[in-house]
Amino acid sequence: MALLELQDVTSGYGYGPDILNGISLSVESGRAYCIIGPNGAGKSTLLKTVAGLLRPRRGQILLDGEPIGGRRPDLVLDSGICYVPQDRSLFPEMSVRENLVMGAFLEPDRGVVSERMGRVFEMFPVLKDRVNQRAGTMSGGEQQMLALGRALMIEPRLLMIDEPSLGLAPQVAEQIFDIIRKLRELEMTLLLVEQNVLKGLACTNWAFLLDLGELRLEAASDEILDDPRIRELYLGRQRAGSQPGAGIGDDT
Amino acid sequence: MSHLIQVIILGLLLGGVYALMASGLTLMFGVMRIVNLAHGAFIIAACYVAFFLFRDLGWDPFVSLAVTMPLFFLLGMGVYRALFPRIEGSPRFGEMTVLLTFALALIVEGLLSYVFTGTFRSTDPSYATDAVRIGDFFIPTAQFYSSITSVVLLVALWAFLYFTRTGYAVRATMQNRTAAQIVGVNVRRVSTLSFGIGMALAGASGSLISFLFPFFPARHWQWIAILLALIVLGGLGSLKGAVVGALLLAVAAGVVSDRFGPTWSPMTFFGALFLILLIRPQGLFGHKARVG
Repeated sequence: MALLELQDVTSGYGYGPDILNGISLSVESGRAYCIIGPNGAGKSTLLKTVAGLLRPRRGQILLDGEPIGGRRPDLVLDSGICYVPQDRSLFPEMSVRENLVMGAFLEPDRGVVSERMGRVFEMFPVLKDRVNQRAGTMSGGEQQMLALGRALMIEPRLLMIDEPSLGLAPQVAEQIFDIIRKLRELEMTLLLVEQNVLKGLACTNWAFLLDLGELRLEAASDEILDDPRIRELYLGRQRAGSQPGAGIGDDT
Repeated sequence: MSHLIQVIILGLLLGGVYALMASGLTLMFGVMRIVNLAHGAFIIAACYVAFFLFRDLGWDPFVSLAVTMPLFFLLGMGVYRALFPRIEGSPRFGEMTVLLTFALALIVEGLLSYVFTGTFRSTDPSYATDAVRIGDFFIPTAQFYSSITSVVLLVALWAFLYFTRTGYAVRATMQNRTAAQIVGVNVRRVSTLSFGIGMALAGASGSLISFLFPFFPARHWQWIAILLALIVLGGLGSLKGAVVGALLLAVAAGVVSDRFGPTWSPMTFFGALFLILLIRPQGLFGHKARVG
């Protein structure tokens, strides 16, 4: 059975129009997925809807076959789905340590929490060096690492990461992609939205192509990378040197 | 010089009580982005509770804290649950809270006027007009007690926010609501609780000012105006700011009142409000609004 399954999910913001239009897809455990598509395709909306921050207007979201659509975000997290939003969403006034502790808010066992923190420090040595620094004063790359570290504190079954390289210098973004590759090697189930399509595809197994709120195509990531027709159609701008969506904050 | 010090002492004593009133208001804004214009009205309502407990049952206003705090805590949670979840997620949430709490203030004032009339009231415990002399300075007993009580309650609030799991959840929600949701904080529950705590502080303030400032139902407009000035000066949503703003402005108002006459005392608050909005609109400890 698929770990996560979306059946005909429609969703949007407030009283606004539908952003997702009847999306159906499924995510298998232990694999890494990339969601690509132009701005306004509904990539972030999809993640927010799965995370419980938006309520699906229609359709079902199933985790292990159990419907979780419309559940409160804390209950969705408790069932194992963790979301790292585009703006990192850290607690700016709290230290690195406090942010990590908050990441394990739902874990009552303090021993488990400190053990996990040790593992996060292993993966992100820079966080260990900055353990008492306030999150709001860190650089963009460090903040992204903290956001990822905080997400790992709950040991999610599915980790959804929204545009992790957004606004980062290329070599800093490269560090983030290294981390994502490492998570993939650890067989963590990943659902990645990435504006740098080539990089995003390179560190995932499978890709969903969204456009105007609909699933246009799904295929193995390397297949998309190798298919000249798809490259022409969807990744054209990438080759011309400008990354689709780069530097534009308005991403739904 | 010693006269000035005396004025400052009196200002600081009052400032402690102002800080208690303002902290509830700023907590509500910090956690829920609710500008609670009814905060003053609930403080006056608590004054009436303290008044009747004092007059009819002979309870000291400090003892009445044991009633006003839990009573207003529960009332606050009820009010939050009844009114705010339905406008949550609205794109005009901030504006709607102003209208909603403005209406709430009018309703509370109307009810109080209807039931208790517009007569000036005040509790007058035996120590209300006492003072202790220390060296050249005198300290009014009633203001001293209420200031100490305010400090104790503020320290308790601080300890709750910084040393308990629920307190962490409240601070997390204040700093970033989405982030709090993402790490598994039930923000609806935290909001309900915070509104209750803010109202419990309003209840406590009512008991404490019932013998310091005579009250009548419409008096709350004056309080809410002063309190808004205090928390804007300190930075909306900042507890530290509310305390510092309250102490600063209480002292400033005292000095102005001493130099130019009490008529000018309320002017101090609004003068400070204008200045801070011109110079540093985010307030002393506030953060610039983030776009997006």
